[in-house]
Amino acid sequence: MQIRTLKDALSFGDLPAVERIGFILFITFCFIFPWIIKGGFAQAVMIQFLIFCLYGLGWNLIGGYGGQVALGQAKNVGMSAYTVALLMVRWNIPFWVCTPLGVIVATIESFVLGYFLFRLRGHYFAIATIAVSLVWQQLFINWNFIGGARGIELPLRETPNFIYMQFDSPVYYHYFAFVLVMIAILYMNWFRKSRLGYQLRAITANEDVAESLGINAHWVKVKAYCITGIFAGMGGAFYTVYYSYIDPFSVMHLELSIMIALMTMIGGAGSMWGPIIGAMILIPLDRYLGAWLGGRGILGVDFMIYALMVMIISAYEPRGIWGIIEKARRKR
Amino acid sequence: MVLLEVTDLTKDFGGVAANSHISLDIEKGEIIGLIGPNGAGKTTLFNCIVGYHRPDQGKIRFKDKNITGFKPFKTNREGIGRTFQIMSISGDLTVLENVMIGSFCRTSDRRIAREEASEILNVVELEKDAEAYMTELPIATQKRVGLAMALATRPELLMLDEVASGLNPKETEEMVALLQRIHKAKGLTVFVIEHVMEVVMPISQRIIVLDGGQKIAEGKPRDIASDERVIKAYLGEKYAKGRKNRGSI
Repeated sequence: MQIRTLKDALSFGDLPAVERIGFILFITFCFIFPWIIKGGFAQAVMIQFLIFCLYGLGWNLIGGYGGQVALGQAKNVGMSAYTVALLMVRWNIPFWVCTPLGVIVATIESFVLGYFLFRLRGHYFAIATIAVSLVWQQLFINWNFIGGARGIELPLRETPNFIYMQFDSPVYYHYFAFVLVMIAILYMNWFRKSRLGYQLRAITANEDVAESLGINAHWVKVKAYCITGIFAGMGGAFYTVYYSYIDPFSVMHLELSIMIALMTMIGGAGSMWGPIIGAMILIPLDRYLGAWLGGRGILGVDFMIYALMVMIISAYEPRGIWGIIEKARRKR
Repeated sequence: MVLLEVTDLTKDFGGVAANSHISLDIEKGEIIGLIGPNGAGKTTLFNCIVGYHRPDQGKIRFKDKNITGFKPFKTNREGIGRTFQIMSISGDLTVLENVMIGSFCRTSDRRIAREEASEILNVVELEKDAEAYMTELPIATQKRVGLAMALATRPELLMLDEVASGLNPKETEEMVALLQRIHKAKGLTVFVIEHVMEVVMPISQRIIVLDGGQKIAEGKPRDIASDERVIKAYLGEKYAKGRKNRGSI
């Protein structure tokens, strides 16, 4: 059984050749990136791209395959990031011990929240997740024990340290993020062929029909939401050691949740490569355009461009860029 | 052996009694037809049994187990499969994958689910459409896929909500033949809602007639066809209209 699971995760055989080649190119690109591009800013953008891939791949479970507009990823990222940061700063616990704990905290939060909020459907669920994230952010801003609005800073260590994941070069972080993304991709590759994957898609298509086929829709959604929380938690733990500084505005912000959802929707929610495509477009655009326009004192234009993209895509093909590709392919 | 037993079932929608005091028994291996004019409460009765509605009053027993108020996924696990009038299923998935979703309720292994799903597609004669997408298919095929999905959950009682609606006479005939074949091959108990008398008459061993939320008759197809009250409820409207038209000419 376990071997079969692994086989499913590692086999991309059922995908068209073009997709497999694209995937290999993607891996190669990520792998050699730190050697060919030396610019600090470009490397930082690349790492951000990888983190967002991770978030997006996770969100795609509940938001894409599950069809639930959950806008609360930031709080899971934040929960895990704060757990890791607190444990590392206050008790000097190694990163590799903190991370599982952070992920567990994020998952428990997802479970409790999902269990209650999935009694709501559609827009009501989306609004409830927004409300809960805002409450969490306010709590974290005003909670002095965890640094309040000032946030938490990790102490700088004198020598590069694997136990506390502190390195002097971004290359290490790049590869760590890359490994996380690869794990996420392999998981998604298993997931889309698994029972849970099919059940989630059935629920998205028609919840009543799904229930008549013996699917406990509520429970399946809670499960998917928890897995989404795990991905966000891993991202949060990475974020903490990469930036060495977190505050409620960087990891708990609603803007982050919306960015994750938006990115996945633009790329193509409910498809394997959608989140990656979305991140590939949106993250460089965001960072470079933001920096370029910000430097000229023009603020807010980048948001207008996103809005325009969202409008064009939702009017033309609600399933995003991947939806456009699929459509063209099916016509042929 | 009584498979399904409904006693004194009542369902009220804000003052409108969709079902009032309905009792019925279904024997194992029977094909039962449920007929009645529009708004008679047929679908409500189905939904109460399957669990989309919670009955206000009354009891539902399946295989001697009280399943009143069970959620649909639970009644399905007990062994009740159903199809919908409009079975809108995912257009992103192929026919085979749609049927696999049904199989997944009994197994978590993808390979077993796939095998079972293709077997069932053979039964409903859709093996050549296995890789087609739902949105590309004509309505008659979609209805068959719906039937296959319900069959994939391995029900003991199959509840069909208007499987023949929207089909032309030839397709209807094929559907009737298919149902009879499945019934014979698997020894399934089948409970059919049908709007059209001509469809339900040849396949049912027994027919239950609803009108205005009440059970007005029950019996063999031949007896039902000549029952005074059934004719009044069912054909009365048409006859009355016919007479009126004739009168005006």
